[in-house]
Amino acid sequence: MSTTPKPDAADGIAPGGATRGSDRPTFWGRLTHAGPYRAVTDFVFASTRRQFILLAALPIVWVLFAHLGPILQMIRVSFLDSYPPAVGYTPQFTLDNWASFFKESIFIKPFFRTLMFSLSLTFATLVLIYPVAYFLARHVKRDNQMLLLLMLLIPFWVGEIVRTYAIMILLGNTGAVNLILKTLGLIDRPIPFMFTGFSLSFGIVYLTSLYMLMPLYSALEKIPPTYTEAAADLGAGAWTRFRRVTLPLSLEGISSGCTLVFLISTGLYATPILLGGPSTTLFSQTIAGFFHVAGDKWPTGAAFSTIMLLTALILSGTFMKLIGSLTRGPQK
Amino acid sequence: MTRNTRILMSIVYWAFVVYLFVPLLLMVLMGFKDSNFIGFPIKSWTLDWYIGVFKDSEVVSVFLYSTVIAVTSTLISLTIGTWISVLLAGRSFFGRIIIFGLTILPAVIPGIISAISFRIFANLLGIQTGMFAIIWAHAVHNVPFVVLVVMARLATLPKSHTEAAMDLGADKIVSFFRVTLPYLKPALIGAGVFCMLLSFDDFVRSFFLGGYKPTLPVLIFSKLRSGMSPEINAIATVVLVMTAVMGIWAERSMRRMGKGT
Amino acid sequence: MSNTDNTIVHIDGISKSFGKTVALQKLDMKINAGEFVTFLGPSGCGKSTTLRILGGFERPDGGRVLLSGKDVTHLPPNKRKVNMVFQDYALFPHMTVMRNVSFGLELKRMTKDQIAARVDELLSFLELDAFRDRFPDQLSGGQRQRVALARALAPDPELLLLDEPLGALDARLRAQVQVELKDIQRRTGKTFFFVTHDQDEALTMSDRIVVMNQGRVEQDGTPEDLYLRPKSRFVAEFIGDTNLISGEVKHAKDGKVDIDWFGMNVQGRSFDYTPRTGELVTAALRLEKVGFYDKKPETGNAVQGKIVNRVFKGSRTAVDVRVGDVNTAILKAYVDGDVPDDVWLGWDSANMAVLQD
Repeated sequence: MSTTPKPDAADGIAPGGATRGSDRPTFWGRLTHAGPYRAVTDFVFASTRRQFILLAALPIVWVLFAHLGPILQMIRVSFLDSYPPAVGYTPQFTLDNWASFFKESIFIKPFFRTLMFSLSLTFATLVLIYPVAYFLARHVKRDNQMLLLLMLLIPFWVGEIVRTYAIMILLGNTGAVNLILKTLGLIDRPIPFMFTGFSLSFGIVYLTSLYMLMPLYSALEKIPPTYTEAAADLGAGAWTRFRRVTLPLSLEGISSGCTLVFLISTGLYATPILLGGPSTTLFSQTIAGFFHVAGDKWPTGAAFSTIMLLTALILSGTFMKLIGSLTRGPQK
Repeated sequence: MTRNTRILMSIVYWAFVVYLFVPLLLMVLMGFKDSNFIGFPIKSWTLDWYIGVFKDSEVVSVFLYSTVIAVTSTLISLTIGTWISVLLAGRSFFGRIIIFGLTILPAVIPGIISAISFRIFANLLGIQTGMFAIIWAHAVHNVPFVVLVVMARLATLPKSHTEAAMDLGADKIVSFFRVTLPYLKPALIGAGVFCMLLSFDDFVRSFFLGGYKPTLPVLIFSKLRSGMSPEINAIATVVLVMTAVMGIWAERSMRRMGKGT
Repeated sequence: MSNTDNTIVHIDGISKSFGKTVALQKLDMKINAGEFVTFLGPSGCGKSTTLRILGGFERPDGGRVLLSGKDVTHLPPNKRKVNMVFQDYALFPHMTVMRNVSFGLELKRMTKDQIAARVDELLSFLELDAFRDRFPDQLSGGQRQRVALARALAPDPELLLLDEPLGALDARLRAQVQVELKDIQRRTGKTFFFVTHDQDEALTMSDRIVVMNQGRVEQDGTPEDLYLRPKSRFVAEFIGDTNLISGEVKHAKDGKVDIDWFGMNVQGRSFDYTPRTGELVTAALRLEKVGFYDKKPETGNAVQGKIVNRVFKGSRTAVDVRVGDVNTAILKAYVDGDVPDDVWLGWDSANMAVLQD
């Protein structure tokens, strides 16, 4: 911050007194003494209550309207028999949209597949990323940590579509992996990686792994190395040190990393379309289907979205609470 | 930790780096392939696909469209996010935790559900799908990130700084613009670039709220559905380079904020 | 103006509580123009709350604050002609020294010429000319403290508040700055309201010290008053090293009080009040006021004793002397050179102040 020695143009007081000979007040002096400004501020700051109301009004309206509004409307629509409303017809209340979820296996299957996929991939990502985060936080010199982390962040900034496409090129029938296997003489015909559970899992982990890395890294980085040294001094072996010191102290990172990855993977839409096949249809595709086909299937889509949202939030909420009770357990 | 586990972990780390980078490198390489057919091996090379990206008026206009959406939605997110942060970082009041929870809400809603709910809400409000709807959805989606970054920075602003400004005759508005806002600058740069990247890369919201004109990710998606081509690689590579440059720049300004007072 | 005297600040019965903690209990105080007043006390005594109420950062629960006769109790900080030097200086990190100092002037709607002239004046007064284009993080602690002072003095306040501004400096620099600060106050003729928990600082700089404890004023007086004539046990113990001598009053007249101290007869002085005969009182006796003699001295008080403990403190040695025939009577004192264990101790009765509590 200190490396910006430019004075505000608005003030016009040059450093070193180079500019002199001005008999005008500065911008802020003129502003604060201007009649309209004074009238407004005198009104606003007349009472702390009024001040607070004016400060709080916009945020409260914004979060209620823009953040909560869409969700509430989605829930409302899920109980209507038709939406968007046709001209001259008032939609009626119905539970059919919710009921249809439990009636047809074509809906329930993708739902549970999504849950299983998301849960198992979250766990896999955790196992894969923990050593990476640990290595970065504990075995790399402070100065290099940022560099190595930055390197991992670059792919992270590239969007879902571009990265999914990269995976398609890697795993396609004429992709790099098949080319290598063929050149090595391990296969004659390309292995059909694409449009399977494998390619989808591979892609999802590829997309979400950094959301696991960041919280894990920051949790691990906060643990002072003296803690494990103290444990070693007291005779704890490597495994015990990890299990009794490092792991409990990184639980917070595990909790937020897993929650993030889980919520993101349940919400992916383009990736299952591009990488998955008919046998791997996920619930996001089911939901989206109600909005693509003609006809008024929106309420069913809304009901299914609500089911999905509630399930995802309840699962991750329970998980975070569980981890939370662990951290406040015997270690502290 | 023993030497062996250390070596093992460094192997895992570098394997992870390879895992992250190789697909992207292959994608970049494929953009140079002198053939319509996506696949290895690459026998002859060309720059035509890259030149084509800049010549294709559709791609260029979609690119500009995405940029306008990213910049506008980011400006909205920064304004609203900073406003909310100032409220939440101030003195406590009844319901603060609820406001905070609602502020963070868009960040924890899975992408597809967020897109669907915006689609339904836009219909309720009578907003046509298209640029305005996308900007609005992106702005809402990005507010939580702005709030988290700005609140973290605000928490480190000594209370005495704004008190000193008031002591010297500034009202709260002047004090905010002359003391608080300059202090937040690095956080705002970082959060702003992050929002732009999120908006620029967003597929699912742009897809469901988009009208006739696609954003860049939507364009790539629709091209992909009609078949892979090195043209897509070239477009994706341009996106990759741009986002990487912006990301690194933002990251560096965030780091500087950590060091400076 | 309603006041004809020299009063610039009138604190009229202010009280303040934070939740269940009482910070100030009906504080009354008048401060004269040009005075260097120090509020001294342990943390939580109410001194900082008083300062923040004067600055406008806290509203008192009751009472009024009058500045030059005008009620400012409910005015926000930006509407008061009061400026403050903060404990952490609170220099704006993104502004140069020059722009920090001109901040308050700009908001007074001074012209750029006037601002430049005033800033130059202050920077040269505080010997900061060379640093005008530096940023705060390019300055030493002492320089920052002077910039904070320049910034607070710039708008020409009626009252300058200083919130432990020397706390961040190292011990050697602090001693130097104490002298400088007193000098600046004298030369500007401003009223300084200084808050500290450091008794040395208070004694060195102040015209007047107000000792606070638990939201109340313990004693209000000149540094000498407080040091030599403490009124309460709290003041005696808080400022300097002191012996507390307790006993029954045998005789009290004209401020001279004879006390029976473990069978020895010692005489002290009482100020502003006369204790009753038979009352149990405590008197304070500074360690350095006790002299050592090889035979019974001619001073007002003389007792014979034996040194039982010596602690070397560099320039002098602190000793515990057992006096009289009773074990529990221990008198602490300082000696410069070598003294034998068996000694006579003597002190002036004027140096032994009988406390009021």
